[in-house]
Amino acid sequence: MSTTRGIDFAHLSLQDALDLAVLIEEEARERYEEFAEQMEVHHTPEAARFFRFMSGNEEKHRAELAARREELFGDAPAAVTRAMLFDVEAPEYDEARVFMSAREALRAALRSEEKAHAFFVEALPRLEDGAVRALFEELRDEEVEHQRLVKVELSKLPPDPGFEPDAFADEPVAH
Amino acid sequence: MQATAPVCAPKDFKSDLKPIWCPGCGDYGVVQAIYRALAAVGRLPHEIAFISGIGCSSRIPGYTTAYGFNSVHGRALPIAQGIKMANPDLLVLAAGGDGDGFSIGGGHLPHAIRRNPDITYIVMDNQIYGLTKGQLSPTSPKGLHTVTSGYGSLENPVNPLMYVLSYGAPFVAQGTPADLPGLAEMIEEAIRYPGFAFVNVQSPCVTYGEEEQQIKAHKASMKRLSELGHDPSELIRALDVSQAYGTELHTGVVYRNPAPPPTFEALVRARQQELAPRALPPERILDLFLQE
Repeated sequence: MSTTRGIDFAHLSLQDALDLAVLIEEEARERYEEFAEQMEVHHTPEAARFFRFMSGNEEKHRAELAARREELFGDAPAAVTRAMLFDVEAPEYDEARVFMSAREALRAALRSEEKAHAFFVEALPRLEDGAVRALFEELRDEEVEHQRLVKVELSKLPPDPGFEPDAFADEPVAH
Repeated sequence: MQATAPVCAPKDFKSDLKPIWCPGCGDYGVVQAIYRALAAVGRLPHEIAFISGIGCSSRIPGYTTAYGFNSVHGRALPIAQGIKMANPDLLVLAAGGDGDGFSIGGGHLPHAIRRNPDITYIVMDNQIYGLTKGQLSPTSPKGLHTVTSGYGSLENPVNPLMYVLSYGAPFVAQGTPADLPGLAEMIEEAIRYPGFAFVNVQSPCVTYGEEEQQIKAHKASMKRLSELGHDPSELIRALDVSQAYGTELHTGVVYRNPAPPPTFEALVRARQQELAPRALPPERILDLFLQE
């Protein structure tokens, strides 16, 4: 479940909207990076590789949006901050699990893409600025494409071995 | 609204040491909230001392670039107070779990509160002993089945909020990593408060914790005090809200004494200044000692 605070969607300017989009991607990039580190520490290299790949993708999107923002608005100070959003596209902290399989990691990413899509869908009726609406529609559609790509990757994976990763969580895995 | 550039960014407070908490642990969110709060406060890492006890959550100072001491079980507060007395200019944080803070370290908490040093104490309250594999902790709910309560706990839990308010803590807040921005703001406010500030963070244990205490459940059940019209300047209201600990998850500032009492450091400085005119010169003290 994503949350935002203090964002007046009705009066969001295009600059604010681009800043918001950049911050959403930044948060997702950082969270995937955190998850990759967690998986590396816990000797789960396949999930770590996938999360790092996702972090790279989010950074690519962030950089594209940041470039657009710079082109349109230069270095005008931002009014939107990270304190105004949480878990929009970033997987939630409790999506990470010890001994996550690659399939579990992809499913977590899929849920995050679905969550981001829902965010843009829910925000759209509240937007009044046409350019902001167009941007949000574009971002919403990108989330659909991301879901499709994750699903393609999921379909390539062999089936899960049939055990619950949490069944191993009683072992002293962390310490 | 205008965003201001802090001296350090949150990432500047992240150390190279990788956390080894279980994936899904609430403490990952807590450490991120601390990075943000420290960046917002605007102090440099070398101006901060971060002291902890023992337990999963007590690893937290190592994951920051501040000076840190992962000390002795239950002894974060005495050490933090000593550091604050020796160098009052340091921003001093103490942290630990509910077992560390309310059980073995429980005796130190009232004394820290009554002295009122300018320290922020963050407890990552997961209602279980996680590091030692799932025993009852001081805040475990009554009836909880654990490896040390196979038929369900017979004990009432400690209520951390009532506990610290009863001893006179001037700043008391409660948060959850399910609301990371809110938690970061609360920790920032606690740090800025001039006196002993207590932040109880309900930080889920993903391995031994109950399903209804996980982040998803927190997101669904938490109630922000600011949205309930709570006035944190009223102690009676704060005590009232605190009674719901364990049944409802209230987040935000529970109590903020609007007239902060003097800190222990300030009282000590005042006493030193008062006695300074009567102080003997160091060589005279040595003479007296040798004469004895």
